Amino acid sequence: MNFIKRGFLGITRKKGKSLILLAVIFILGNLISGAISIQQATGNVESTIKERLGTAATIDIDYDEWDAMSESELESLEMEEISVDLIKQIGELSYVKYYDYSMSTWLGSESVESYHDEESDVDYIVEGPSTDFRLKGINYAPVIDFEEGKAELADGRVFTDDEIEKGTSVAIISQKLADENNLNVGDTFTLANDVYTYDEETGEDDIVNSRDVVLEIIGLFEPSEAKKETDENSDSGMMILTDDMDYHNTVYVPNEIVIDETQFNWEEYLKADEELAEMMEGEDESFEYYEPIYYLNNPEDIEAFTEEVKPLLPELYSVISASDQYDNIAGPIESMSKLAKYVLIVAVIATVLITGLVVLLFLRDRKRELGIYLSLGEKRSRVVGQILIEVMVVAVIGITLSLFSGNLLAQQVSDTMMKADDNQDEYFEEYYYEGINTDLTAEDVMDSYEVTLNSSYVLGFYGVGLVTILISTIIPLIYIVRLNPKKILM
Amino acid sequence: MILEAKDLNYYYQDGEQRRYILKDTSISFEKGKFYTILGQSGSGKTTLLSLLSALDSPHSGEVLFNGDDIKKIGYEKYRRNNVGIIFQSYNLIPTFTAVENVLVPMSITENEIPEDTKTVAYNLLDYIGIVKNKADRLVNRLSGGEQQRVAIARALATNVELILADEPTGNLDEEMEQEIIEIFKKLAHEHGKCVIVVTHSNEIALQSDQAFRLRKGVLTSYE
Ligand SMILES: Nc1ncnc2c1ncn2[C@@H]1O[C@H](COP(=O)(O)OP(=O)(O)OP(=O)(O)O)[C@@H](O)[C@H]1O
Ligand SMILES: [Mg+2]
Repeated sequence: MNFIKRGFLGITRKKGKSLILLAVIFILGNLISGAISIQQATGNVESTIKERLGTAATIDIDYDEWDAMSESELESLEMEEISVDLIKQIGELSYVKYYDYSMSTWLGSESVESYHDEESDVDYIVEGPSTDFRLKGINYAPVIDFEEGKAELADGRVFTDDEIEKGTSVAIISQKLADENNLNVGDTFTLANDVYTYDEETGEDDIVNSRDVVLEIIGLFEPSEAKKETDENSDSGMMILTDDMDYHNTVYVPNEIVIDETQFNWEEYLKADEELAEMMEGEDESFEYYEPIYYLNNPEDIEAFTEEVKPLLPELYSVISASDQYDNIAGPIESMSKLAKYVLIVAVIATVLITGLVVLLFLRDRKRELGIYLSLGEKRSRVVGQILIEVMVVAVIGITLSLFSGNLLAQQVSDTMMKADDNQDEYFEEYYYEGINTDLTAEDVMDSYEVTLNSSYVLGFYGVGLVTILISTIIPLIYIVRLNPKKILM
Repeated sequence: MILEAKDLNYYYQDGEQRRYILKDTSISFEKGKFYTILGQSGSGKTTLLSLLSALDSPHSGEVLFNGDDIKKIGYEKYRRNNVGIIFQSYNLIPTFTAVENVLVPMSITENEIPEDTKTVAYNLLDYIGIVKNKADRLVNRLSGGEQQRVAIARALATNVELILADEPTGNLDEEMEQEIIEIFKKLAHEHGKCVIVVTHSNEIALQSDQAFRLRKGVLTSYE
């Protein structure tokens, strides 16, 4: 009849008492396990979505802040440009895996046909000059788009540092564009940098100057499978189609070439437009404008990166990252996560108090019994052990039951909450940043939300549950330690 | 000399004053004898017994068991291994059967006891007058006299030589009282135990080998 056996007898001989304790722990356990289930599910959403969103970040004007400014504030504002030096300085931060900053320009061509989707045999009636090809300047020789899996190199090679530095006339074009024009790696092709002016009288564009841009093809790229697949599934097929076509007509070149061509275009334009030239005189208006893109080592680094970069930026600029988008879309998930956190805290506190009180009440009823053990010379630690066994055995049963029912409950609750959220359309004002925005929707977020019964949940809940019950027995145990057998028995 | 109390002082603080329950009380007991300590209600009999059984400690003085200060032995250990205590209100565990109640101290003590504790417990109960089918009953389904017998069996279960009882027959009728007294006599005279019973009953005192009277904190021999 040692304390372990007495503990088990204590449970079976007082079934009513044990059932009450079981019910209390089961009910409170449901709250705890439900909250943990939801927390884990929301946590999983955050990590999977952030993983999907990637680690890209850029620097731009914070348009929210801009919009919030009053007119007088805007007038007195001196906008600074982001300098290449600053871009590089940020790029050297330890969080950054690689980065690029580039310009783009649009060129036309007489000798090269742009790629059109076969299915959409629409004749685009383009008013004015044709600028079918997007020259995308590259400063990062291996090309970030390929590194990040947006496209892959199908043939040939990427740039060399030497080519980037010197602005060698080499290009990587899409496989489709090459096929369309029977081009291959090693071939050259010609684009036209036309300078137009707008004639207000005729309403037509006049070519005032033009020069050929001859580029040697060093590589061919193919947009990645994953991208194509999601495009096909998308509701807004048309929109994506043109996007995709744009991409097929993108020509990667060293950034120096883009600078050159832009400069030529700008200077020739000023020559043709005297009015504008006069206006611009004396102004140090640079035609160089960069949109930097940083890829970080880890999705979790974004916050720290933002913290560190923010002080370096000129007024009104901010770090824009993929996770901003998550914050926009994941509102319902976030609020559910918060709610679950509060429920968890409240449930744990309630469990400690209620279970503690219930156990204490039961112990008071058994004061005499406990006094008898002490009078027989039983160690207080063993009396405590006996009570712990009685409580913990019941607690393990109650927690195990609520492990499943609480998880089930969480599934029901979150299903209902999701449905309620589906009905309210949310509109987000968004600005487009190349390489950052993905076609992620609120629905994707909802889809990746799943309450599961996995091992980390099971362990987490047993951990939290048992520790909570243990804490709740502290007060009753103090009660035992302070018992005076003489007062009770004599 | 199995048990010896030396200059015990025990008092309650009454405002500024100390109200002494026991004042320089000394007393000693031998094995094989049945002692009674007689005193009126409130005279301090229970107090004295609680000191002898290490359920409480005196403000000064010492209790020696076989010459060793029980404080040095350790109160808990002394209760566990050296003394059996019987209370007026039995103090059995109501959710346990009679035999289970007897088994409890056997699992607590460090004394050597036969391995087959269950058989020992049944035999002990049988010897005290609780037959097998009553031994398997929950104790709150036994009469007062039967419950006190179970309590005596429990006190004997750890094979101790010293039995302390506080008004063991206080809740029993005369017939039952006499049967319990007979058990005590037998334990002292046939089994060599030292039995100390605290009581306010002259009848019991007259049957003991030696009686003391406790009065105003002072112990005297009672004839
Ligand atoms: N907690 C206490 N505070 C103050 N006085 C107390 C306390 N407990 C007991 N007393 C007093 O101590 C005295 C001795 O009490 P004790 O229980 O030893 O008497 P007793 O001889 O056993 O009496 P009874 O025959 O009624 O059981 C009594 O006068 C009682 O009033
Ligand atoms: Mg008394």
